[in-house]
Amino acid sequence: MLLQLKNIFKWVNSGGQRIFLLKDINLTVEEGEFISVMGPSGSGKSTLLNVIGMLDNFDEGEYHFLDESVHTLKEKHRANLYKEYIGFVFQSYHLLDDLTVYENLEMPLLYKKYRSSERKAMVADMLDRFNMVGKKDLFPAQLSGGQQQLVGVARALIAGPKLILADEPTGNLNSQQSEEIMQLFKTLNQEDGVTIIQVTHSEMNAAYGSRIINLLDGRKIGD
Amino acid sequence: MIKSLFKIAWRNLIKRKVFSSISILGLAIGFGSAILIYLFLSYHLSFDDFHPNQDRIYRMATEEHMDDINYSASVPPAFAKVFREDYAYAEKVAKIVDREGLVLDVEQNGGINKYSKNIMFAEEDFFKIFNFPLKNGGNAVSLSAPNTAVITESEALEMYGTTDVVGKTFVLENDATIEITGVLKDIPNTSFLNHEIFISFENLEKYSEFAHGENWGGITTNLQCYALLKPNQDIATIENALLELPKQHRPNSKNTHIYKLQPLSDIHLNLEYGGLNPVFLVVFGIIGLFLIAIACINFVNISTAQAFYRSKEIGIRKVLGSFKRQLFWQFLSETFLISLFAMILGIVLAILFLPAFNALFEIQLTMESLVSVQFFGFLLALLLLVSILSGSYPGILLSRIVPILALKGKLNHNDTGGATTRKVLVVTQFVISISLIVATLVISRQIEYATQTDLGFDKESIVMLQVPETMDSAKFYDLKERLKQVVGVQQVSGCLTSPGAGDTFWDTTVKYNNRPEREDFSISVKVGDEDYLNTFSIPLVAGRNFFKNDSITELLVNEKFAEKLGISSSEELLGKTLAVNGDRVEATIVGVVRNFHDSSFTDEIKPVFIAPTVRWYNELGIKINHLNTKSTLEQLKKEWSQTFSNHIFDYRFLDERVAEQYETEQRYLSLSKVFSGLAIFIGCMGLYGLILFFVGQRKKEVGIRKVLGSNITGILTLFSIDFLKLVLIAGAIAVPFAWYFMDVWLQGYTYRTQIHWWYFAISIVAVLVLTLLTISYQTIRVAIKNPVNSLRTE
Ligand SMILES: Nc1ncnc2c1ncn2[C@@H]1O[C@H](COP(=O)(O)OP(=O)(O)OP(=O)(O)O)[C@@H](O)[C@H]1O
Ligand SMILES: [Mg+2]
Repeated sequence: MLLQLKNIFKWVNSGGQRIFLLKDINLTVEEGEFISVMGPSGSGKSTLLNVIGMLDNFDEGEYHFLDESVHTLKEKHRANLYKEYIGFVFQSYHLLDDLTVYENLEMPLLYKKYRSSERKAMVADMLDRFNMVGKKDLFPAQLSGGQQQLVGVARALIAGPKLILADEPTGNLNSQQSEEIMQLFKTLNQEDGVTIIQVTHSEMNAAYGSRIINLLDGRKIGD
Repeated sequence: MIKSLFKIAWRNLIKRKVFSSISILGLAIGFGSAILIYLFLSYHLSFDDFHPNQDRIYRMATEEHMDDINYSASVPPAFAKVFREDYAYAEKVAKIVDREGLVLDVEQNGGINKYSKNIMFAEEDFFKIFNFPLKNGGNAVSLSAPNTAVITESEALEMYGTTDVVGKTFVLENDATIEITGVLKDIPNTSFLNHEIFISFENLEKYSEFAHGENWGGITTNLQCYALLKPNQDIATIENALLELPKQHRPNSKNTHIYKLQPLSDIHLNLEYGGLNPVFLVVFGIIGLFLIAIACINFVNISTAQAFYRSKEIGIRKVLGSFKRQLFWQFLSETFLISLFAMILGIVLAILFLPAFNALFEIQLTMESLVSVQFFGFLLALLLLVSILSGSYPGILLSRIVPILALKGKLNHNDTGGATTRKVLVVTQFVISISLIVATLVISRQIEYATQTDLGFDKESIVMLQVPETMDSAKFYDLKERLKQVVGVQQVSGCLTSPGAGDTFWDTTVKYNNRPEREDFSISVKVGDEDYLNTFSIPLVAGRNFFKNDSITELLVNEKFAEKLGISSSEELLGKTLAVNGDRVEATIVGVVRNFHDSSFTDEIKPVFIAPTVRWYNELGIKINHLNTKSTLEQLKKEWSQTFSNHIFDYRFLDERVAEQYETEQRYLSLSKVFSGLAIFIGCMGLYGLILFFVGQRKKEVGIRKVLGSNITGILTLFSIDFLKLVLIAGAIAVPFAWYFMDVWLQGYTYRTQIHWWYFAISIVAVLVLTLLTISYQTIRVAIKNPVNSLRTE
């Protein structure tokens, strides 16, 4: 088991009223799964993903990640945990505009204790694997959306995470680019054994996964 | 890691060129000023720090207790010998006496060159107390024999064209032939001693009998007495022991002397004993801090305003594994990089402006003073201080950003924080600017007041000539008659000093009428002939002028004298006798003159008497009509040189001499002008950056407002109103602040101008106008653009 959510609630108080963003979520994810989260806009998909990614807090319930009880951990510990095991891919890529492709890939490594030669090797490896050696000195603005997202995925992978969280990774891409990214996810999942949880609106993308979770108004429906 | 941080920092700089230039330029000006101010302060604090025994060297000084206390950096001439021989405190005691404008004849290439020089008559031990070495490094100065001298290397070069002058001679005052026995290394600029020629003390007798003799009767400020104490002496004990000296030697004097030992390190910066006012340095230091503060404020304002733009970057970095601490350091290192650029630029600016700065404050700072361990220490400290001051707050703000909000783009300006802080900082800048403008206005008004107020005498179109040697009556009246005949000359008067001569005064005690005791105040002696009143236009309020005479039988006093005696009617003084100069002279008061300002407005008007004595005339005051000054001066020179054929003709205008008393104030004024100008400039730049940012951020709003029908004025008002409010708040803070400090400053003047409300009005309006101009430029640029463009970019 990679992670387990038990009776997770998340709410915000607005005008004396409690608005639930997540209601009684129970979810167990095994290593090697490829899960798609679906649901209408505003149903809490991003919220759930952020909770899993430990970027956001929840108000009630238990969250176990590997052997750790996330709900009892201090902020700093939690940050260490996600930095070590989780890679993020965003709908709008969130590359740093001031850095080249190479530097964007290198950045997560700078925050971990790798030596300069190790970093070089790892980045070179990634560039090679994603066929981007020729583009390493370009800035994000000089790439197409699909290429940017490729960099985004490569950056999420570079430090060797166990879990990749992707919030609508293809939301800004055309269908051909989308397919390319999904194919990549599938390979990663099947060949490298990386666990993937993605949020998507598209049935077609969801089909790449092994399991689909449906959300409505912060509640899990079906399974 | 570091490399990557600097890379990002660099790219950020390049990307936001305008903001970076504003930050860097502002900081550079701040640094440049701080460097100059540092050099200035360390120059003044380093005076005479090169003597090996400096902490054992003292100058003998006197507190003169009469109805008030006078501080004199001198002692009676007899003091040195007694302190040397009757007491066991000192290893060495030496006195020096300076005389200005003595004539030296130097033979060169068969001809004779005449120089007018300031001479220091010195006892040989002077050079054993201090470290003023000879050219060869030793201190074996030989001055004990009469007619010997030592001179500095540059003086030797000037007079003889070589430094190899031992054994050469010059003629002093057309009389004694003096032989040079040694050549000194040049005296450092940072010394109390600024003489180049030292002549044996034995030669002094001819030029000042009083200073040369063993006299206890009075003090001449031309004399200074220094002592090198034995180790581990207690100063209070010595001063206590010296209390008996006045009792022994001046038992009947109303002027009670208390002798003091002034440490060498105290000489340059002790106002009471004629040093520089240390407040001046403090003010300088504070202004330096102000400038740095303003520059840092700019930086903080601009970077916190930009935090919003950078929030996405921060969010991503956090998600990818950066800690708060690392982000904080990232930001700090960016600040450091910017500060480093600014510092390099600041050093360049400082070097460029060093000559102008030297000229302004009449000092000689050199580039060499830039190359020292202390200076680099100072630069490093300054760099770190500024980086930390201006980097840490924005750093904290940025590192606090919550990543998911930043990534969602849901942050607004209040979330990135600092809006209130920015307002506070902008207000602080305005407060500093307004206060500096007020200070400039008040100082210049006080100088104007002092130089344009009626001083009680006429100082325009009066030429002062020297009387280089003592004259008898015949010689004097002959010269005076010839000078009077010169075309353009209206009046001529022989005198000791003109009115308004500042610190050249001669005080004495007096006995009035048949009162049994001498008065407990001293009176200023204005020796002058019967034309003194006419020449300097000093009006009589009672009685008449004295008749032409060679010595004192009749005299004039001023109104202040009557006041000091407690006599309300000037008429009552007429016909009374006055015993002056240790009762040696008794004369009748025949007239009372109106009060006039003899010294700077910091001092109260003193009681004065005016009486003639030909042999004391040191100067000739000549009232001319200014139609043909040049030819009149030439004629004057001709007549003067006929009497004093062996001397060098020199003249001063009285109004210039009077203005000299306000030299310090003039410097304050230049200081506050230059630095308030800089402060305002840096402040405006920061404001420009801030407004550039806000306007840029509200482009869309401007577009929408325009589409909805607002005109440029409306938009301008919208943007200006916030900043104008800040100026007014700053004004409200600056008024009491500046009022208080300028009032304290003015309290130093017995005669002073008022602080008017409109100084504040002018300052605030000036800042308002500058702010408005700064805002308008940016706003109008955005406002005249076609709104469609700014709306479409979203
Ligand atoms: N901090 C918050 N305060 C109040 N409401 C919030 C907050 N964060 C999210 N919400 C609300 O919670 C609901 C779920 O938001 P979430 O972003 O998870 O939806 P989503 O399923 O990802 O939608 P979409 O498909 O549009 O991305 C939305 O109605 C949103 O407005
Ligand atoms: Mg979403």
